[in-house]
Amino acid sequence: MDSLLNPYYLQIVMFVMINAMLGISIYLTLATGQLSLGNAGFMSVGAYTSALLTLKVGVPIFLAVPAGGIAACLLAAVIGVPTTRMQGLYLAIATLGFGEVVRVVALNLKVTNGALGLSGIPSMSVMTGKGLSELGLGSGVGILSAQQLSNIIVIVVLALMLACLVFFALRLSKSRMGRAFAAIKADEQAAEVSGINTTYYKLVAFFMGAFVAGLAGALAAHITFYIGPQDFSYHKAVEILLFAVLGGSNVVWGPLLGSFILTLLPEVLRPVAEFREMIYGAILVIMMTFRPEGLLKEGTIRFLWAKFNWRAKAEDDNSQPEPEGGR
Amino acid sequence: MLEIKQMAAGYGNITALKGIDLFIPQGSIVSLIGANGAGKTTTMKTIMGLIKPNSGQVTFEGKDITGLAPYKIVSQGISLVPEGRSILAGMTVLENLEMGAYQRNDSNIQVDIHKIFKRFPILEERKQQFGGTLSGGQQQMLAMGRALMARPKLLLLDEPSMGLAPLVVADIFKVIQEINGEGTTVLLVEQNVRQALKVAHYAYVMETGRIVLEGKAADLVHDPKIMDAYLGGSRAG
Repeated sequence: MDSLLNPYYLQIVMFVMINAMLGISIYLTLATGQLSLGNAGFMSVGAYTSALLTLKVGVPIFLAVPAGGIAACLLAAVIGVPTTRMQGLYLAIATLGFGEVVRVVALNLKVTNGALGLSGIPSMSVMTGKGLSELGLGSGVGILSAQQLSNIIVIVVLALMLACLVFFALRLSKSRMGRAFAAIKADEQAAEVSGINTTYYKLVAFFMGAFVAGLAGALAAHITFYIGPQDFSYHKAVEILLFAVLGGSNVVWGPLLGSFILTLLPEVLRPVAEFREMIYGAILVIMMTFRPEGLLKEGTIRFLWAKFNWRAKAEDDNSQPEPEGGR
Repeated sequence: MLEIKQMAAGYGNITALKGIDLFIPQGSIVSLIGANGAGKTTTMKTIMGLIKPNSGQVTFEGKDITGLAPYKIVSQGISLVPEGRSILAGMTVLENLEMGAYQRNDSNIQVDIHKIFKRFPILEERKQQFGGTLSGGQQQMLAMGRALMARPKLLLLDEPSMGLAPLVVADIFKVIQEINGEGTTVLLVEQNVRQALKVAHYAYVMETGRIVLEGKAADLVHDPKIMDAYLGGSRAG
């Protein structure tokens, strides 16, 4: 038990959750066919906002984290109005540039502590630990130590937030707005002549993506104690994009699966660390060749769902005659 | 119903429309004919708001609609069936039709879908099929059905006969007349001049961004200039 619940593993689980949220953030903007590489920038804004609010102003974490999301969203409003008018690659380049601007600004501002970054950010698990000891659980519960318990509580909170976001994304894809998103993604002109306000919906998608990215960034800051400008460089932007590329971007499960794999893969490949980058690259090349739409697409989900339903139905049918035979 | 005054528009430095005047009376079928690059599609797109005009004015039912966003034009009662049909390939036939009713929230949407299915029975047969799997003719029907779902007062049809078999073309033109018979005004852009003049009441002939000729469709069919330019010479006629 102790070896399974060591802080290192628990932290990886937390990173999986954060990256899954980033996967949802890129899914939301991609849902309208907009390729935005600015999510790392929005993540950075969320992280710095939340970290500074807790460090310098003393705002409690549970308020600072949503504030990070809102800050990212506000910035998205500023850059979104001009950039969402751009198509395809131009948008990608503009948002990539935006991410770099955010990084350089964070690198040069005094309040963000430049290249050194911010350290000593109040951590969620430490806070939870304090709360626990106030409740008299400072020595842990049962076989769980206080540290393990607080880490698990943080993971549960993250999992709940992730579940809410997944639920929201699933509902969205079935909603009126989701239909508009899908139409814009499929054929923007067709969407326009159907009477859809494409500019508005593209902006909304951009905002939602920025908000979720900001939220994830803020949460990341309160997990790692430390953030620096290099955490949100273009490598992070590409990593987030890879979640969607590997997992598939047509269904929300795609980027989720992608983020799971790409977060766990480096850990699994630790024994062959020297070849890690090569294996990484090879996987992507193989993906692009054999399944460019990503691991999961609508058809895959339907297939799995049908299979699952069929099995459930078969079990139903099997269980049906039994009570009758027994009588 | 729709009036265009001295409208000029273009793409970047290229001027595609050099000041055209056009009038579409209520209840009519007006046809816009001309060769490739004459500016027919640009005219359609500019009415629809997909392109902002550089100058000129578009009025619809007495209201100035120049330069409005496409979704606002749709809510005024104008629908476009784009060139190349722009079917949402990944959505089913039914979903495509529902997209056409995007701005509506009345309870008659199902009734209208039923009407469309009555007009195009093949669409009902294929209603759960993806739009992209339909044949060209069926896609054209679907695109027209989708545009009608918005209950337009004015329907803009951009090259409905493009790339279709002659029999299907005849069907499509028959439907256009039916739709018009039920009170929808139609602006029809066509390269299939003979067919277009057969169904239209009035026609405009475009050449390189200008309107060079206009008149009653019945008169234009016999116009020697039209015969020479578009109908294979006067000898054939």
